[in-house]
Amino acid sequence: MTLPQAVAFSVTLAGVPPHFGIYAAIWGVLFCALLNPSRVFHGGPNTAMSAAIGVTLLPVAPPFGAEYMGYALTLGLMAGLIQLQFFLIRPLGRMLDLISEPVINGMICGIGLFLIFRSLTTFGGLPLNTEVEWPLWIAWHSFLAVLEIGNIHAIKVGLITLVTCVVAQQFDRLRNWAILVGITAGTLYSQYLNAGRGLQSTLIEQIGNLSSIGLISPSLPLFNQEAMPDVISIVPGAVTLALLGLFQTVAAMRRMSRKAESYTDSRKAIFSDAVSNCLLPFLSSLPTCASFNRMWLVHKLGIHSRITIASSALWLLLLVLFLADAIAVIPMPAMAAVIMLLGANMINWEDIKPHLKDRREAVVFMGSFLSVLFLDLFGAVVFGSVLAFAYSKWEQAHPSISLSGNVLKVRGNIYYGSLPVIESMYHIAIERAGRVILDFSECYYIDQEGIRWLAAAKAGQKVAFADRRRSQVRRALERRKTGDDKRASGKRRGKRDRRQRSEF
Amino acid sequence: MSMSTGKLTKIVLIVLGSAGLYLLATHQHGQREAIRQAAVALTPDCAEKLGRYRLARSERYQSPYALQRTGASIAVRGYSEEDVRAIQRGCNIIDDTQGSLAKDPGRERWNATRFIRGTHSSCDHCHQGIGDKQDAGGNRMKGSLNLGASWVMADMYDRFTGLLLPFELRQMQCYINSSNGYKPNIADDVISDVTAYSRFLSAALELKIGNHYEEQGIDEIPASATPKQGDDYVRGEAIYKKKCANCHGPQAFGLETNGRLVAPALAGPNAWNTQSRNYFYYVSTILPGFICRNMPLGQENTLSNQECRDIAFYISNLPRPAGDRNGPMVALQQQILMTVLPPLMRLTKPAGGSEEPAEPVLERDQSRP
Repeated sequence: MTLPQAVAFSVTLAGVPPHFGIYAAIWGVLFCALLNPSRVFHGGPNTAMSAAIGVTLLPVAPPFGAEYMGYALTLGLMAGLIQLQFFLIRPLGRMLDLISEPVINGMICGIGLFLIFRSLTTFGGLPLNTEVEWPLWIAWHSFLAVLEIGNIHAIKVGLITLVTCVVAQQFDRLRNWAILVGITAGTLYSQYLNAGRGLQSTLIEQIGNLSSIGLISPSLPLFNQEAMPDVISIVPGAVTLALLGLFQTVAAMRRMSRKAESYTDSRKAIFSDAVSNCLLPFLSSLPTCASFNRMWLVHKLGIHSRITIASSALWLLLLVLFLADAIAVIPMPAMAAVIMLLGANMINWEDIKPHLKDRREAVVFMGSFLSVLFLDLFGAVVFGSVLAFAYSKWEQAHPSISLSGNVLKVRGNIYYGSLPVIESMYHIAIERAGRVILDFSECYYIDQEGIRWLAAAKAGQKVAFADRRRSQVRRALERRKTGDDKRASGKRRGKRDRRQRSEF
Repeated sequence: MSMSTGKLTKIVLIVLGSAGLYLLATHQHGQREAIRQAAVALTPDCAEKLGRYRLARSERYQSPYALQRTGASIAVRGYSEEDVRAIQRGCNIIDDTQGSLAKDPGRERWNATRFIRGTHSSCDHCHQGIGDKQDAGGNRMKGSLNLGASWVMADMYDRFTGLLLPFELRQMQCYINSSNGYKPNIADDVISDVTAYSRFLSAALELKIGNHYEEQGIDEIPASATPKQGDDYVRGEAIYKKKCANCHGPQAFGLETNGRLVAPALAGPNAWNTQSRNYFYYVSTILPGFICRNMPLGQENTLSNQECRDIAFYISNLPRPAGDRNGPMVALQQQILMTVLPPLMRLTKPAGGSEEPAEPVLERDQSRP
């Protein structure tokens, strides 16, 4: 199942020969299985990461050339090294947990839509323009170009692949094999056309010779002096690649844990991704990251052993060695059709629906989704990260405050960010009632500024504090606080804890 | 394998959708083919130029230009009916890119406007004389961006990116930068027809493949070719007002009279963008070179190198669209400048100053012998 995807990702999206994707499906899976203790974690080539490679490198060198491949390996290595920082610097890795689900789903949906547009020219058998622009409006031109000047034979092959895939997906027994069935149908039709009219007449582009593929293909990233200006220019692309991989890995691990009712620390996945991506560029391979769909399938198939996952990678290697000639004649429009289908599958209404129910989540989801379509990938990743942090801060800064009689109840945080909101309600309550009871039974964090404000309010003698938690809970919290303070003072030798917790 | 109605509907929809897409593509392909086979209505200038170069269907082609100038001409392979039509359409695109002279601009110019933002851009504005600018004596002019000379230098290495750029890709750069638009696909007729015309020009002018000719590209003017006074905005503005504002307008936003474009915009929404190599801050040698060798029309080569650099510097400081690769923030900044600055400049204009420029002095005929 991974094989057709691996080939499609490398040739259609990343602009590198098919063996890059195939090796990622072999060595990427093997390394991840060895480095990650999770029994369902499944690495391998990834759509968004492959697209990021293509988008980053198209302005730098012509695709499929030796230089381009060298830069692709350099890009992968740089991404691996950046990912390693997220493992080594623990707070940096922890930041990834703050990327909320609406942000990640918004980006995934945006990338899914981009993949559909991005594959249009290959689907229509048209040459790919260099320096492909990211923006959405280019897609409309590509669509019109396919209709007006596309290779009609290529369009037929692409449509047959697409229809066969979708039809196969409707049958439970064929669902997991749908892509393979579709590609087989497309390839057979293309071979039929070529046999009747000749390749010089149909002009359907094929994957090409895979005879160079072997057990192992050592390679070196491009880091010579001449390449340095270009290497520097692709650093933002490397950051994008690293973050895209980590976002997806962490999100996949989180969803997998929830679905499988088990827990695996995402730090382990960061480690396995980072080390794998540092090694893979030396094996002519695309970078790897976790995929929720693959992991879910592995889980559903009842595979709960890392040895099984690792051995599947080795089976794939043997399969490729024997099927090289068959892979070589797969038509590119069929590959593009597969990418379009995968892109469409990334836009899952069941995933989107929950985000649209809450206004704030909907705004974050749409912001993240649109940023992919209107900014470049790097811009989208940066925007998505900022949006995620802004969203979490916004949530914290807006505690739920209710005024009932003269009781002002605060649910949430009392800290510098939420104080303006709380203070405005407090003054309204004072104006109405003259004297207020501030109930923070459901308040779980107060920072120093919050304490100072509470002290000032108390000094004004217009407020009384209430804490309606059971005395048992309060005592337990007090004990925990005292223990925390002792540990903190022991460790920090009297330094003040800046994030001192106050429990009332 | 039981199948629910929902799944069946999905299958029917995808089959119908695919069939619809295929039929639409077949229809569009048929229309394109019909245009390719149809007779071409030439613009007056193209009719004159192609007539002078005796473009016609024949087995062999001999350049009348070379014959007239040197007394001898090499017979090369001739053109089929299809070739002739492609060359004619290419000439039309260069002369009248947006199809203002065409009955059906979409059909006759391969929807070229789809790839251009703004209403002024035309290939002929930079590639003057329909890509073959000559003086009164029929001499090809230095630095005049001759398309025939460019074609014989096809597949050049781009000195900025280091990429090997085929002639077709260089046309795409014109669309995204000089026309501030979008790239047509490299296989589009709008590209291949212009290539056919450029190739014909090289045969008509008897230019040799791989040779570099003076009329190819721009005769660039670096700062080292000036008395090194530095490029000056104030000097540039003064020269612009004296030499250029008559045609291009006081704010360089171009000039249209009776709905007809007299001179294209050098700034504002209809001008080239900040990603273009005409933009002084990107490449400082190209626009001065173009100005010196091609402007003012009919008085070419009359401005000094320093004057050309000053004018280019001044023009490039006027607001213009951002290139797509400059990102949304620069685009927003430029859009604000283009919206806010013109009315502000009108407001701050000294009392008694005339808004309308003087009657444009165009000596276009001299550029087209």
